[in-house]
Amino acid sequence: MYIIKNALKCIGRSKGRNILIGIIALVIAVSACIGLSIRQAAESTKNSTLEGMSVTATISFDRQAMMQEMRQPSDGAVTDGQESGTQDRAFDREQFRDKMNGGTSLTLDEYQTYASAKSVQDFYYTLTAYFNGSDKLEPVSSESESEAASEPSADAPENGMDFGRDKGNRMGKMASGDFTVIGYSGDNAMTEFQSGTMSVSDGAVFSEGTAERQCLISEELAAYNNLAVGDKITLTNPDSETETYTLTVSGIYKNTEANELSVPMFGVGQDPANRIYMSAAALQGVLDDSTSVSKTVTDETTGQESETAINGSLSATYVFADADAYHRFEEEVRALGLDDSYTVSSADLTAFENSLTPLNTLSTMAGWFLLVILLIGAVILIVLNIFNIRERKYEIGVLTAMGMKKGKVALQFLTEILVVTMAAIIIGAGIGAVSAVPVTNALLEGQVESQQSSQMQMENNFGRGGNFKGGMQNIQPNGQNAAPDNISDGGGHGGFAAFGQNVSNYITEVNSAMNLTVLLQLLGIGILLTLAAGAVSVLFVMRYDPLKILANRD
Amino acid sequence: MEILALQDICFSYGKVPVLKDVTYRFETGKMYCIIGRSGAGKTTLLSLLSGLASPNSGSILYDGKDIAKQDKYAFRSKYIGVIFQSFNLITKFTAVENVMLSMDISGIKGVNKRQKAMELLAGVGLDEDEANRRVLKLSGGQQQRVAIARALSYDPQIILADEPTGNLDGETQKEIMDIFRSLTEQGKCVILVSHSPEVAAVCDERYELKKLSGKNNPKGRAVG
Repeated sequence: MYIIKNALKCIGRSKGRNILIGIIALVIAVSACIGLSIRQAAESTKNSTLEGMSVTATISFDRQAMMQEMRQPSDGAVTDGQESGTQDRAFDREQFRDKMNGGTSLTLDEYQTYASAKSVQDFYYTLTAYFNGSDKLEPVSSESESEAASEPSADAPENGMDFGRDKGNRMGKMASGDFTVIGYSGDNAMTEFQSGTMSVSDGAVFSEGTAERQCLISEELAAYNNLAVGDKITLTNPDSETETYTLTVSGIYKNTEANELSVPMFGVGQDPANRIYMSAAALQGVLDDSTSVSKTVTDETTGQESETAINGSLSATYVFADADAYHRFEEEVRALGLDDSYTVSSADLTAFENSLTPLNTLSTMAGWFLLVILLIGAVILIVLNIFNIRERKYEIGVLTAMGMKKGKVALQFLTEILVVTMAAIIIGAGIGAVSAVPVTNALLEGQVESQQSSQMQMENNFGRGGNFKGGMQNIQPNGQNAAPDNISDGGGHGGFAAFGQNVSNYITEVNSAMNLTVLLQLLGIGILLTLAAGAVSVLFVMRYDPLKILANRD
Repeated sequence: MEILALQDICFSYGKVPVLKDVTYRFETGKMYCIIGRSGAGKTTLLSLLSGLASPNSGSILYDGKDIAKQDKYAFRSKYIGVIFQSFNLITKFTAVENVMLSMDISGIKGVNKRQKAMELLAGVGLDEDEANRRVLKLSGGQQQRVAIARALSYDPQIILADEPTGNLDGETQKEIMDIFRSLTEQGKCVILVSHSPEVAAVCDERYELKKLSGKNNPKGRAVG
């Protein structure tokens, strides 16, 4: 007990020295507190966002894996982007097209089977098909009527975008229509209407799951064709002009993102204004009718035979309560028989992980900063303590000559440095608690800016601005990106998403950084530093011989 | 009653012999003076007696027991009070805190330490104001008194003092010697190390140390 009393007395009687040690410990404490807080903020932001996040996932065909597989027999492999006409260059395009046009898409039954996995909270799908207009229904287009006709490959724009269009055609008939008709399995699939990106400005959304041929059209399309709620519109099969389908306009919708997306990029059918929404059941009815009247036609140029039936592409979305459920989902669907050539991916999680990039970078930097601060701090504290002990050599000699055991003397010195360090850490934690959030946010802002500017730079290097984002979407397998949910979320698929609007979706602010964990970690650091510095005291005290000290003094 | 005994003590600093075959007995109720010229080994003998150093050979017996076999820290903190020539007080503490600290170290319990320290300081002639002053702000004589009070704080049987009057004026010197005399009257064994004839004159017994030189080193001898 008297050791603590003595230690406190000694601290009070050597203010200058202890204030100096305290200031150094304070600087270490504040720096450590901010460093730890940044790491904690990154972790808790991630966890709290994940906790409250409902994750959606899709199952898609792994085209890359298939292409890889198809290359294997030959040595002269070429990359995906390289176009080469020579047959001996490994890649069998015919086989690739056959496979892609063949059985790469999962059927609705299969999608529904996987939806029975325990981890799935909700399931919905969209059915997408392409139609042409009729005399009374023309697509919204800045091009002239004849140019807007459904021969997209004949009039490739000069901005280099023929790449996407050409690919689109080769991929099948899906993208070759003036109108994109999207059928929703239910209200839960209409994510844009839920989020408010789109809203009905006149009339109402068709009844959920109805087989009646009711549809929603955009304000632009309504204005362009003088259509009103209750009017009927006629769509035709792009491959068979005599095959027509009549839909009743149940509502007119407003797209708040229409302005930035209104420039047609790959045919007028891709223009959001030319999207027509209806119930998936109703669209399926149309597709069934088309199949029933399908004819086989032969392409005059290539000699290829094809069916005139309109093909629809399915895009199914699984909703999970949390990220853990999503991670379980893949195992469950594999158990339910999903082939390895299909992958399960979550655009939400990818976007979320992208959004964390600056925070994670900052967290890593904070970790290194913390390590350096601790190392430098420990060295300074140890050196200061050595000076302190040497200066108090005489006192140590007197105390041990009086009969105080060396261990107790060392303990007193250890207590002194512990008290000073802890006081500094408590003050440092207070300062850290106040400053951690603004400092973290300021650093994070810089980090986000740096990430954004590097991506802007990348865009500039490509020289294509926003256009190429769409180009990338067009070559996604199964036409999945044509589905509205994927388009509207900034295209979470793959690495291309980061080029586009996801740039603005980074987590740019943390609300709280300091918590009990940080405080405990800080205390741990304080004790570690004290022990490091105190160990030196103990070594010195144990080494000193009182007689020699006092004799030298005398 | 014999309290401390030196038996054939030899001590050297490296190859330089300082003490050789020193044998002597100290009794309670007596004041001893160890005398000798500079370099004769007076302070070395005091260090051996206080347990700060160990002899190369021979033994020091406290109450019949070899102190080499005892806890020297306990011996120093409980059984022997040492007054160093340069006082060796904790300079950042006050006089009373120095006295209380020695009581803490000796493990005294159940007494009001501050009160006892104040009484001891008053006993050596320091008033309350002086007792509460940092020792660096006290004169040499006052520091000497604090060192005496500190040595007495845990009531040891033996008091060792190295040149206790070396820095003091004649009057203070007399007062200090009176204190030591009163301690012997209380039954304590007071051992003083000094080369002052005045100090030696008032002691009951004197032990003279001769400086060792050459092969025929004279031993210390009692001079009455």
